[in-house]
Amino acid sequence: MRKIFVLLLLSVSLYANGAHLKPYSGSITDPAISLKDLNGNTHTLEQYKGKVVLVQFWATYCPPCVKEMPSMNKMQDKLAESGVPFKILAIDMAETKAEVDAFVKKIKPEFTILIDETGSSIQSWNVFAAPSNFIIGKQGQIQYTLFGGVEWDSQEIIDKITKLSQK
Amino acid sequence: MTLIVRNIFFVFTLLLLTATNAKELMEVELPSGEEVEIRVFPADGNILIIGFPCDAGKSKHEEATAQSLVEDNIEVWMPDMLSAYMLPKARSSYEEMPDEDLAHIIYEAVSTNKDVYIIASGPETQLLLRVAAQWRQEYPEYKNLKGAILLFPRLNDGEPIPGVEPKYVESVGTTTIPLMVLEGGRTPNRWGINHLSNKLKAGGSEVVSKIVPDIRGYFFKRSDPNRTEDVVTSQLSGLIKVSLFYLQENSK
Repeated sequence: MRKIFVLLLLSVSLYANGAHLKPYSGSITDPAISLKDLNGNTHTLEQYKGKVVLVQFWATYCPPCVKEMPSMNKMQDKLAESGVPFKILAIDMAETKAEVDAFVKKIKPEFTILIDETGSSIQSWNVFAAPSNFIIGKQGQIQYTLFGGVEWDSQEIIDKITKLSQK
Repeated sequence: MTLIVRNIFFVFTLLLLTATNAKELMEVELPSGEEVEIRVFPADGNILIIGFPCDAGKSKHEEATAQSLVEDNIEVWMPDMLSAYMLPKARSSYEEMPDEDLAHIIYEAVSTNKDVYIIASGPETQLLLRVAAQWRQEYPEYKNLKGAILLFPRLNDGEPIPGVEPKYVESVGTTTIPLMVLEGGRTPNRWGINHLSNKLKAGGSEVVSKIVPDIRGYFFKRSDPNRTEDVVTSQLSGLIKVSLFYLQENSK
């Protein structure tokens, strides 16, 4: 009886967490990025080969994007503590650097924010909604996607990324 | 002196109230046997706009927008489709409305001999596309349905999948009338506007799409509008008139 209760509780908590990582079903075989962060440094996906990368498309006007940022900070910390090679590249969807700067001062994300004022990466990655998330494997291929807000530091996601980093 | 000011204020308020209530209620019997109540904002001009579906004043600004259009001689009809079938304001409710009933409302409007345009926002735009397709099928001899305005359409079939082109509801690409699509500049949907426009064109429609800068989706329904959204909401009739201009150009 106790086991059933625990299982029930677990399924309810997973459901409450909402979206889940799903195997990628699209046709992008060679995802690429070359964008600057808020300090003017260029980041490419190529340079993070050997790490699992979360590429997120977000915007300051997107409430779920803003809500999940603290859990992204925690996720980054948890994976670093476990020694999992991992990187977050959060691409702002075509807002100005000034807008993003003001937002970052207020919300304080601790991961890399990239600026794409022209929106070129949004189109090449077939992004039509926010937040749109892609988990890239160590060899640079898209492994999972997730649409919508989620608690990124949930055990389910941490386990999936840890497992992916071992492949 | 105070009495004079009070009287002037009273008369002014009365005039204002009269102006904002310059509408008529019309009841139309539908092929299904249901009756729909239509708020009619009459005007002498040759253009008539139907707002689908209407929920009897629950949407903010809709009557003010209608009044503003009337001032430019554009007649506005707002059929209360949800009440006609006693349905809640939910996406699933649109499936419950028979296409024949919807087309019949267009028929009533076309019977005025005015040029008829239809308008809807958000997920309600799927209903608008269904009506247009049904109308052409049921009344092919009538040419007075001149176009449709899709405000911030939400026509995805299911949840978006990152990295995958969206799929749309069945009614996308089923009409031939000219379409005007408006999307907010501060909504991720703006990145799908070209893709959606191409799918809408597949039915044979001329499609014009425009981004309205600095506004979020559903800006005219928001409780926390920013300054730009406030301005655009108060000028929504202007946005509609610009859309009519484009549609008229495309129906020539």
